[in-house]
Amino acid sequence: MGSPVHNLTSRAKGNAVAVSASPKRHSRHLLSNTLFRYYFLFSILALCLVLGLVILFIGKTALLLFGQISPLDFFFSFNWTPEEEAFGAAAFIVNTLSLTALTLLIAVPVSVGMAVLCAEIAPKWMKNFIRPVLDLLVGIPSIVYGYLGLTVLLPFLRRASGEGLGDGLLAAALVLALMVLPTICRISDDAIVSVPRKYRDAAYALGSTRLQVIFRVVLPAAKRGIISAVILGMTRAVGETMAVVMVIGNTPQLAKTLFTPSSVLTSNIVMQISNVEFDSTWNYALHMMAFLLLLISFMLILVIRILGRKRREV
Amino acid sequence: MKIFRKFTVTALTAVIAVSTAFAGIASAADTLKGKITINGSTALLPLTLQAAKEFQKLHPKVKIAASGKGSVTGPQAVKKGIADIGAVDWDASTDVPGFKAFEGQVANKVAVIPFATIVNKNVGVDNLTTEQLKGIFSGKIKNWKEVGGADADIVVITRAFGSGTRVNYQAKALDGGDIVKKEKNYKETGSSGDMKTAVATTPNAIGYIDLVYVSGDVKAVKFNGVEATTNNVINGSYKIWAYGYYMTKGQPEGITKEFIKYVQSSKFQQGSLKKLKFIPISAMK
Repeated sequence: MGSPVHNLTSRAKGNAVAVSASPKRHSRHLLSNTLFRYYFLFSILALCLVLGLVILFIGKTALLLFGQISPLDFFFSFNWTPEEEAFGAAAFIVNTLSLTALTLLIAVPVSVGMAVLCAEIAPKWMKNFIRPVLDLLVGIPSIVYGYLGLTVLLPFLRRASGEGLGDGLLAAALVLALMVLPTICRISDDAIVSVPRKYRDAAYALGSTRLQVIFRVVLPAAKRGIISAVILGMTRAVGETMAVVMVIGNTPQLAKTLFTPSSVLTSNIVMQISNVEFDSTWNYALHMMAFLLLLISFMLILVIRILGRKRREV
Repeated sequence: MKIFRKFTVTALTAVIAVSTAFAGIASAADTLKGKITINGSTALLPLTLQAAKEFQKLHPKVKIAASGKGSVTGPQAVKKGIADIGAVDWDASTDVPGFKAFEGQVANKVAVIPFATIVNKNVGVDNLTTEQLKGIFSGKIKNWKEVGGADADIVVITRAFGSGTRVNYQAKALDGGDIVKKEKNYKETGSSGDMKTAVATTPNAIGYIDLVYVSGDVKAVKFNGVEATTNNVINGSYKIWAYGYYMTKGQPEGITKEFIKYVQSSKFQQGSLKKLKFIPISAMK
């Protein structure tokens, strides 16, 4: 932390010297500073514009839906049969929520455990091995995870459960858990490492065992960081599409068991969007589902921001 | 310096002269120029791309842009004026289950696409009748032993509603019968490739696919006792096939007309089209 700040101040000092040495150079610096200010301002405005357009266009098409069917039908009916004009998205919404919950149920204990191992317990060589491996895992494209799920996980689940197909919430949750695990683990790891050393020293001085230090002092102190890690993992799980499409079965119905072939918001959109007519209720309904996904991830990010702000105040 | 300038002028003159000469030759041989945009079915895309390549070689001033997505996007793009040709695997100028006719569009037959019923290699059944297939896809027949196979649950793999393959399979193989979703042993896939992988890797699975996709890792079953081969399609004994169409807004005109003519020409139909494992339209009586 110390060195970059130091570098900055020394560079600033160097600039000051140069400025006093040559006024020409000073005005050139001023010009480039102004130019860059406008450039940065332009960049951020362009980004905001794109984001605004996304919301505008998805939202505009989505809201056309409620001119044709009632919001009650869309949000509370479980019957999605577009060919018979039935557009109930409740099954997708419930499936999305339960898939996310199941994913986190599998991923969070494992990844927080790994984070504790990385930050507190493992010897240095092991940390140096685990951290780059986790970073690599974050970068693997989701289609690769999906393909592995289809060719390795599904046959295994079929044999283990005796089901004919194996597709369903469990398969999707296992693939997603593998995908979000490195994200949650690395961010929690950072949160745990940044807990001040004096807390641990104090706990040890009072006679705590290592387990007590970890569970009663370090984890509570890193709680907010870990929660934001979990929410970040959650946004990835909610929005993931390709890996889910390959293992969930893509059947628009409520997942009553772990092995019921079903569909979530993302997978249903990608399966059907290329087969619908532009100006149809069906198309509007799919846009509404996309809009819903946007809202969900905005909400999650808002929660992260609020948590982050509270942490700074403490 | 002077020499240099002279040289440049000579070179430029030469280049201009040669290029005008070439342009002159090309335009003398060929009065066709312009741009054709083709949208629609992925099943017909290999054929469209091959035809576009050959057509552009014959007529260098014609630019053809082709892309593939769901079948229904073809006639839709034509309706909106985005594309000149919409490739689709059913006759979109008439009503089919789930899709209304596109008014004012003309369907131009370009190829015959055969489809096959496929099963996982562990399935012992070799032949299925229309009635048996109807029973399986509507969920009334749930076990392979009901159709002469081993005692195992049937796993139905199907394409999502709106797929051209599904439209044709329902119409021809299931005689208009329904494909009904089930709580267990039922899966929808998004493309022909996914369908093949799913059937190949799931024991006791049944599905359907374009005949060109059938290869060693899945088994094609006979339909009403007839094997799924191009010869059986041509002699009329195998019934699960459909025409592939190029939809146009009204009768095709200008270069669009010339391009469709080229695709329908016996040179292309008997050559490249056959090589891509489609069946020439002239083969059907």
